[in-house]
Amino acid sequence: MSTTSELPSVALRIAALDALIEGEEREAAILAALEDAQPAVRERAIRLAARHLEPAVLGELVADDANAVRRNSAIAALERQGPYALPQLQVMLRLDDLDVVMFALQVLARIGDPAPTAAILPLLRHPDLNVAQSAIEALGQLRSREAVPALLELLQGELWLQLAAIDALGAIGDARAVGPLVDLVPDSVVAEPALEALQRLAAPEALEPLLGRLLIVRERSLLDPLLLAVGVVIDLHPDPAPAAARLRQELALGYGESLAPYLDEVLNGTAASGDLLRAAAALAVVAGLEALLPLVLHRIADPYGAVWAEALFRQHPEALRASLDRFLDDPDARVRRGALLAAVFGPDDLPALLELLGDPEPPVRAAACRALGSTGAEAVAPLLAERLRSGEPVEQAAAVQALALLPPAALGELEPCMAPGAAEEVTIRALEVLAVRPQPPFEARILELAGSRSTPLRLAALRAVAQIGGSRAEVILVRALADRSRPVQLEALQLLVRRGGERTAVTLSALLSAGDSLRYHVIRALGHLRARGAVGKLRTLYPECGPHERLEIVSALIRIAPPDLAGFLRARLEEPETELRRIAAGGLAELADPAQLPLLLELSEDPDWNVRNEAARGLGLLGLPACRPPLLTLVRDVEPVVARTARQALDALPAVALPA
Amino acid sequence: MSRFEAAEWKLLTDLIQERFGLTFDGVRCEILESRLEPRLRELHLRSLRDYYQFLRFHPERDAELGRLAPLITNNETYFFREAHHFDILVRRIVPDLRAALRTRALRILSAACSSGEEPYSIVIALQNAGLELAGVRWEIDACDLNPERVAQARQGLYDAGSLRACDGEARRRYFRETGGRFELRERHRTGVRFFEANLLAPNGSFGWGSYDAIFCRNMLIYFGDEAFDGVIGLFARSLAPGGYLLLGHSESLLDRATELLPVSFGTGVVYRKRPSG
Repeated sequence: MSTTSELPSVALRIAALDALIEGEEREAAILAALEDAQPAVRERAIRLAARHLEPAVLGELVADDANAVRRNSAIAALERQGPYALPQLQVMLRLDDLDVVMFALQVLARIGDPAPTAAILPLLRHPDLNVAQSAIEALGQLRSREAVPALLELLQGELWLQLAAIDALGAIGDARAVGPLVDLVPDSVVAEPALEALQRLAAPEALEPLLGRLLIVRERSLLDPLLLAVGVVIDLHPDPAPAAARLRQELALGYGESLAPYLDEVLNGTAASGDLLRAAAALAVVAGLEALLPLVLHRIADPYGAVWAEALFRQHPEALRASLDRFLDDPDARVRRGALLAAVFGPDDLPALLELLGDPEPPVRAAACRALGSTGAEAVAPLLAERLRSGEPVEQAAAVQALALLPPAALGELEPCMAPGAAEEVTIRALEVLAVRPQPPFEARILELAGSRSTPLRLAALRAVAQIGGSRAEVILVRALADRSRPVQLEALQLLVRRGGERTAVTLSALLSAGDSLRYHVIRALGHLRARGAVGKLRTLYPECGPHERLEIVSALIRIAPPDLAGFLRARLEEPETELRRIAAGGLAELADPAQLPLLLELSEDPDWNVRNEAARGLGLLGLPACRPPLLTLVRDVEPVVARTARQALDALPAVALPA
Repeated sequence: MSRFEAAEWKLLTDLIQERFGLTFDGVRCEILESRLEPRLRELHLRSLRDYYQFLRFHPERDAELGRLAPLITNNETYFFREAHHFDILVRRIVPDLRAALRTRALRILSAACSSGEEPYSIVIALQNAGLELAGVRWEIDACDLNPERVAQARQGLYDAGSLRACDGEARRRYFRETGGRFELRERHRTGVRFFEANLLAPNGSFGWGSYDAIFCRNMLIYFGDEAFDGVIGLFARSLAPGGYLLLGHSESLLDRATELLPVSFGTGVVYRKRPSG
């Protein structure tokens, strides 16, 4: 280990490492830096070792147990070499040094490539329990289905191997493990890990037996993981209702009397984890445990629970049906609101919903607005329009959403909101409805409001204008590009892009001649419109504009993809500005054109990390066998982002068998 | 899980490191993403790469870098945060300097002081220890990267959140309530000088230099190894022989080679530059 007091600073040592050119001197410097006292220097050395040292050299360092710091660095470097190191790691599996075998197994697990599975399988029966355990863990992390039969046999073995096998089976996720794992619950010392594994497995086959266990388990320490497993299985089950209904029947017959109080405690408690709470809610809803449903409805009022709790009821609408009237009449406003937001309503429910429009609590009234909208009944439009005009803010927002759900004919009720003299806030709300549901009778008024002096009103009107067909609306949107307010300009531009069409592209192309600050956004918009007609103008403009616009022109042309794009991008690679080269390399990568392979190979050795990253991406998109060797180099890149991209690209290539 | 790609994260975070010396990875990237999303929407940009290019090349890039600074710096602070440090200052550090302080002022640096809660807490702690009455003077340099924060610090006007560790008595004694906010009383601003500074600026140095104590708490967690070492080197140069460095509870020099030595005062570990001779 080197001492630090006399050494140059960390930055200088790292710079010196980077500056070393190829040869023995570099290798020696990297080897020395792998045991540097400073983590930052070691990290740099690990990156360089992954790139420049052969796996066999690193393997020797792993075998050297006299220098733990350097060994750990070598292990990290082998891991970063990824698939490139696999043959050497397989060799290490056969060595007599059991520590080396275990390290090799751990590195293989972290690399995550399934190719060496066959070499690992025999180690499951290794006489050394530590090696066997490492092999089990590795196969679990590699999600090796071939290992499942052997792992199931290990469930009857030595405790540590049993624990490792349970964990591995959970990670692999093969349904063959369900029965043997459920058999370990509740009467074995490994019941809890078995439940955790079943939770990870989330196999539908596990639901029925797990629900059966819920009726007999009483210990809280086991109930929590059991409920968590049930929750996950319900979430991913295509039809959990029949099994859950059987649970309800068993409860009605008096079995599992401690389950309902336990679920009640979880749903009421603040101590329960979010996952446990969701699991209890899912079980209560799917099994239709009526006494517990109000507690789930409470959660809809909770900012953290609203989304999942509402979604749960929407997924299982039958849960609320039987007692809906009672929930809508509940003295607790959270229950009334929750039921209004979560239930499915039809025309028969209108009387009950209209009554709730007079609820003393504004959030309940707002929820009633939303429920009324969901019925799609034209008759409710006047009431919703009235709420939009004079309700509390929360009711106004809900009325906007609800009105947008009604048939177009019902929206004539918005007339007073759109009339001159209506409060600006009310008109803006009405415009929000019309931006979702365009209405021809209001078109003239909307076009007029687009010229309003108020910026918020102009913005809202423009959004509604974008829904109107024809040239007049387009002219208004184009004029808004010169609005005195920058947010209005940019909104108009976005609306034009969303509207699309050749005419918009022609209009925007014409704006390229104006050298104002909007041009940057216009260039971007033309790219998003994929405006072929603008290609000539963009290319003519390119030499005349500043770097920020040049970058956007290159990006826009990549999106538009004109026929001669490759030539244009190749020319950009010759430019001095790094960022332009990067964008051009990205464009060439996206072409996924085999003709660009020689260039991508060249770019894979570029000094700039981002260019190499784009080359790695491009080689992956090409997916040719010839891409494997350069990717095996890039996977060891000193820049982790590049190495990750190369690894993803390699994983997407057809698998290649490792030599035995 | 970020919606942005690793490469665009690297472009942006490298730029942030280059300009501000701050590193972002893991959870800190998630925080950064949540802070940047609204800004990207305002600029009508879709990706971090767009934003990176804006910051590098757009004619309005300088203004945008100014807007970025408050988004990436941790402004979370309050009066008397980690109060044991003020105790160490008045009970352990100042008594050793009593002789020297007859002829000169106590010199303190509050680095990354945000909106001023830390340096003002130091003033109050020194006053409460009776040092002002005993004739001890002090000069507190307080700096931050973010000009808006420095302006707020000079103003000395705070929301209730900054006073979360103050009881009713402390609120009344040190602040004057005005329009639902709290204005620090003038007498508790004695001897504090605020200025903008980037701790990572090359050849960085501070106002009077030669500090008896430097407070830099909960900022180094944002620094990568190189920047961390650079700032610690700067502090070591800026401390007087025997001066102390006080870091936040999750920051430590114990696994680093520096000339600052750990000293345990029971209530916490601080770091000390070797005394001369």
